[in-house]
Amino acid sequence: MRNNAILAAGLLTAALAACGSSEPEPVVEQIVVREPGEPMPVATDEVMAGGKIDRVALGEEVFQQCTGCHNADPGGPNMAGPNLHGIVGKAAGTNPDYPYSEAMASSGLTWDFATLDRFLANPAAYVEGTSMVAGAVRDGEERAAIVAYLASTSE
Amino acid sequence: MNDLTPKKERSGLAKWSRRGFIGAGVLAGGGLLIGVAVRSGNPIGALAPKVAAGEGEQLVNAWVKIDTDNVVTAIVPHCEMGQGAHSVLAQMLAEELDADWSQVRVQQAPTDGSYIVTDTARQFLAPFTMNAADWIEPTWDGLFTQIGRMADVLITGGSSSIRSTGQYQMRVAGAAARKMLVGAAADEWGVPANEIETRDSTLIHAGSGKSATYAQFASAAAEQPMDQSPPLKTTDQYKLIGKSKARKDIPGKVDGTAKFGIDAAPEGVSFSYAASVRPPVPGTRVASMDASKAKEMSGVLQILNMGDFVAVVADSYWQAQQALNRVDVTWTESESAIKTSEDQFTAYRAAMDDAGADGGDEAASKGDFAGAFEGAATKIEAEYKVPYLAHAPMEPINCTAMVQDGKCDVWTSTQVPLMVRTELSSALGIDKGDITVHHPYLGGSFGRRLEGVYAVMAARVAQATGYPIKSIWSREEDTQKALYRPAEISRFKGGLDESGALVAYDNIFTQRNDPAEASVPGIYSIPNTKVRVAEAPLHLPFAAWRSVDHSQHGFFIESFIDEAAFEANADPYEYRLAMLKDAPRQAAVLKKVAENSDWGAELPQGRAKGIAIVESFGTIVAQVIEVDMSAGKPKLENVWAVCDAGYVVNPDGFRNQIEGGIVFGLTAAMYGELDLVEGGIKQSNFHDYKMLRIDEAPNIMVDIINSGDVPTGGAGEPGLPPAAPALANAIFAATGKRLRELPLAKQFA
Repeated sequence: MRNNAILAAGLLTAALAACGSSEPEPVVEQIVVREPGEPMPVATDEVMAGGKIDRVALGEEVFQQCTGCHNADPGGPNMAGPNLHGIVGKAAGTNPDYPYSEAMASSGLTWDFATLDRFLANPAAYVEGTSMVAGAVRDGEERAAIVAYLASTSE
Repeated sequence: MNDLTPKKERSGLAKWSRRGFIGAGVLAGGGLLIGVAVRSGNPIGALAPKVAAGEGEQLVNAWVKIDTDNVVTAIVPHCEMGQGAHSVLAQMLAEELDADWSQVRVQQAPTDGSYIVTDTARQFLAPFTMNAADWIEPTWDGLFTQIGRMADVLITGGSSSIRSTGQYQMRVAGAAARKMLVGAAADEWGVPANEIETRDSTLIHAGSGKSATYAQFASAAAEQPMDQSPPLKTTDQYKLIGKSKARKDIPGKVDGTAKFGIDAAPEGVSFSYAASVRPPVPGTRVASMDASKAKEMSGVLQILNMGDFVAVVADSYWQAQQALNRVDVTWTESESAIKTSEDQFTAYRAAMDDAGADGGDEAASKGDFAGAFEGAATKIEAEYKVPYLAHAPMEPINCTAMVQDGKCDVWTSTQVPLMVRTELSSALGIDKGDITVHHPYLGGSFGRRLEGVYAVMAARVAQATGYPIKSIWSREEDTQKALYRPAEISRFKGGLDESGALVAYDNIFTQRNDPAEASVPGIYSIPNTKVRVAEAPLHLPFAAWRSVDHSQHGFFIESFIDEAAFEANADPYEYRLAMLKDAPRQAAVLKKVAENSDWGAELPQGRAKGIAIVESFGTIVAQVIEVDMSAGKPKLENVWAVCDAGYVVNPDGFRNQIEGGIVFGLTAAMYGELDLVEGGIKQSNFHDYKMLRIDEAPNIMVDIINSGDVPTGGAGEPGLPPAAPALANAIFAATGKRLRELPLAKQFA
């Protein structure tokens, strides 16, 4: 069989092409917040007082620690824990697609700022038998921010 | 060519110091280092400090060192990405050296341009010369060395490590080193060299009762002349080759001490972390970025618009990635007309329509297709389609980079360390000589790490910040911003004569990369054949993906042959066998897989078997796949594979590779698919780019035929190509439904 195959194969062609020297590309914009080892320039107290950043935005950031098990996007999936979009104002344990613990399903709670704050501070103590065995948020300001953020998804 | 070989010069050489010998050897133009491209000015003396730990160690040649403890270290130029090449290359060297396997170690060759895989270069450039007996290239000025150096060929790919570097370099190096050790002992003991026996890293002269370890003669051996073409063992002399010796890299991978690229924690280097985002559509750039939110986030050190990507540097990877997620980036508009998958396939069809019945570049041709097709008793046509695929290696893309004082060090998982070095040199404006690429184990690659972009991005960020950084790509970034196995459409026309034999075969497709023979149905006796390429634009950048073009053409060709068999009312196995009448090795493989799988036996309702055979990277692999369709969707039951790779060096390692190739191929066949939406990739992570899970994986039975005195074939890729067609053919046998598109699973959803 006659084989008109080209000798230079793709890999090597690619390698050869890569040899063409080009000028280093300049950095377009470089924002230096701080140097490694330096403390954060934004004081924690200031942030927590709500001075610089509003609570919803801070809550969205803090909520990242919850995203291992929870998603708060509209129509987002249930993961190890249920989707939390619009959770504030809803009855506990009522997402039809999530297998709640018996304890949660029969808790009779409605999620508002107070109940969520107490639950997040120590889930297993507040709803004994919940399957949320991790993820307690000890810092009150952080809890408040999370709830503010979750509440914002109900609007 | 080699003025060191003649015996009469030996006495003179023996007096030279090691240093002098080395210099003289290079000046005389002979190859001191077997299999290594030795440049003048970069002789063994310069290499030695990089691979020898200290004074007590003697470098016998560049592929092997022997230390004072009689430990033999194989210095291997290929990277280890799970394929087992490191250990098997050492096994090949140890075989010829008669080394004690328990005292053999493996070391990665340094990446400084002295180690160039000339054989791999030749494999890619001129595969037709690979099998020549005069292949060994002892001089440093050979054509392929030149090209290899220019193109930075320190490549691990093309299933080439064992069949090129192993066969033509490691074995030769081992045999040459053994001969030098024997020569040194013979001189010292005053006995004929041919009376000295070697085993387990020991030299023995039975007549005089003298014996010594290799270490005792390592220094003296370095001053012995080097035989440019030492005789290699024949198969009946093998002690290590053909045995499933335990891989040297496995214990560290089990106990967690093995270091992968992402584990890089160079001593004394304190690094920060970088996360980066590239444009969603190839060819576009950063138009603007708004970092006002990100710069307030905890841990953030710097936010950089690099023009072609945006990066955040922070105290930890998580902080960097979270802050990056909050940088608002706008991208420039793409000029590509291809926005969706359908646009891509439309471009392919347009190119093939334009080529018509005769056009396009001819990839292969034999006989008179047009005449034979015209006169055929039965005519069949089929169009097959496969999507874009990602490599999705388990270890995330990463690179640790330090650019300081005009020097650059990177630690990264790569298949092409020298190419990375060249790209770094261009991107940073730093001489290659001031760049060191450290390349630990790769946590999977499959072709993904054949590019240098991620190392360049990391080094550019490190250069801009002025301090070391470790860059890690998110899974989403790797799924959507990499290089890809091209989508493809392939059209066939076939003509069958009165007996049903396939006498006319025409195939046209649009993407041709490598290997060049992938699209050619060369194993079959088909008298009139035409294979054509109608080039069409490819929206996403190309990458070699495990088995490269074979991954598509294996499915196309073996599906079409199955369709011809059905049209001929023939058994698909018998039909193929009849077409392999001039291909005895291939026929033997096919017969064996039919026998192993009990082809033709009654099966329970809903079950059926499919067959396929593909030769790739020098290895013939036939597979029979049994599928259960009784639940209305494919359940993979059994895979029987039979392989002829010439002579398998490490049967267990070989089987592992074939099994891995099959699972990788079945993953693509069942699920693999990337969709284009608005010019970018829709899928992002393992939830929508699915892998075959353990509970879905079939039983796999791999059998090996050692046909012996033929060129050695590869292992990493050849298991893959027959898997998809064998499965699709099995589904056809079970259901009568011919599936001409991959992936398969969604067609039963």
